[in-house]
Amino acid sequence: MALDHALIEELLSASVLRGLDPEDEQALARARTAHGTDCQECQRIQDECAEVAGRLAFALEPAMVPPGFEDRVVERAVGRRATAIGRRGVGARGWARGLVAVAAAAALFAGGWFVRAATFGGSRPAEFLRGARVVSFQGTGGTVAIAYRPGTSGAYVFGAGLRSPQAGKTYELWRFHGDMPIPSGCFRPEPGGTVLQFVDASLAATKQLAITIESSSCPSAPTTTPILTADLTTA
Amino acid sequence: MAQPILLMQRASARGRGDDVSTIDLSEARDRDLVRRVGQGDEEAFRGLFRRYSPSAFALAKRVVRQPFLAEEIVQEAFLALWRNPDGYDQQRGSVKSWLMGMVHHRAVDVVRREESHRRRTEDAAPEAVDPVVDPAQQVVEEIGLPEERRAVRAALRDLPEEQRQVIELMYFGGLSQSKIAQKLELPLGTVKSRTLLGMRRLRAALVGMER
Repeated sequence: MALDHALIEELLSASVLRGLDPEDEQALARARTAHGTDCQECQRIQDECAEVAGRLAFALEPAMVPPGFEDRVVERAVGRRATAIGRRGVGARGWARGLVAVAAAAALFAGGWFVRAATFGGSRPAEFLRGARVVSFQGTGGTVAIAYRPGTSGAYVFGAGLRSPQAGKTYELWRFHGDMPIPSGCFRPEPGGTVLQFVDASLAATKQLAITIESSSCPSAPTTTPILTADLTTA
Repeated sequence: MAQPILLMQRASARGRGDDVSTIDLSEARDRDLVRRVGQGDEEAFRGLFRRYSPSAFALAKRVVRQPFLAEEIVQEAFLALWRNPDGYDQQRGSVKSWLMGMVHHRAVDVVRREESHRRRTEDAAPEAVDPVVDPAQQVVEEIGLPEERRAVRAALRDLPEEQRQVIELMYFGGLSQSKIAQKLELPLGTVKSRTLLGMRRLRAALVGMER
């Protein structure tokens, strides 16, 4: 029994630091299972190791978080909770219809953009929206959503309430493949703050999207913190 | 039998000569904030965010080396807290350690996906225990955290150099034991034993492990 704990202690010591290689992770799982998942001594070792690991973070100097970060996180948190309630209340299909309605309203708000957009994706946004998945961006600076059809290339970004960026600046959309940002187009809103942008790319490998404010040269890598983000994995 | 969290608090206080009640109150306040988050209390959520986001942001930045990714990581960790405050079990450890664990877990996931992983972790060790005066103490709400910082730094400083190096490369650099063995040109078994011995010392210093 003591030998079991020695092995488990050695493996847990590295596991809580995220230092175990895959084969040792498997060895730890096997050892815990073989030893019994309700072993109080194993649990004590794990809790102590995890406590130490978490507290190592405090060896670092604290870093100032970006201005407005707290509000963005709180806004997203409260919004997500409201979303969860909404899902329970109206059901998944009703919620999906609601999202599409929001995007459609944004598209209608964009008005005359329909004509111009029709030359981009080969279909009008209203047609495109039928059967599309719509995901809202979270953050500050405007209301933005993206509509896309899984398995099909191309997407529309709808926006309202966006402020016009300063002279020499533009909004830039990024797709994240893993954690690699891929530039996906620059845009400026109309004077009324609306935007309708066709994204000529597949989102099949995209897990997250972000919008930053960049110089009008549209850099190939982001230079500022995103003001809006969308998580496609939770759609 | 005393609860682990209380053992940790008393041992930490003994080691520094601090007042136990200060640390107990600080942890008790954190637990109360988590409980209130479970009731949907936005102000409690803001309280935890203000208290711990500077340390969380520093940790994420240290591991992933890119501020905008670090921001995402911190955001996701706090959203996880908001969505599932019941994930915290006070019998298992402190709120601050639980929170930083979520941040660290996500940060290492990110760094292991990075193609430039090796380059970013080259200098992972030197900054970890830099005992510079903390300017952020003046602008962030972090009652009790200066003491925490002193205790953790002291515990790391007291480790033999070879043990500290392995632990810092693992924790702040996101390297696995086999990667560390390659990097330091050591047998894997040596890295494993240094990890174990270092963690035992840290547990004795920070959690009051009695052996």
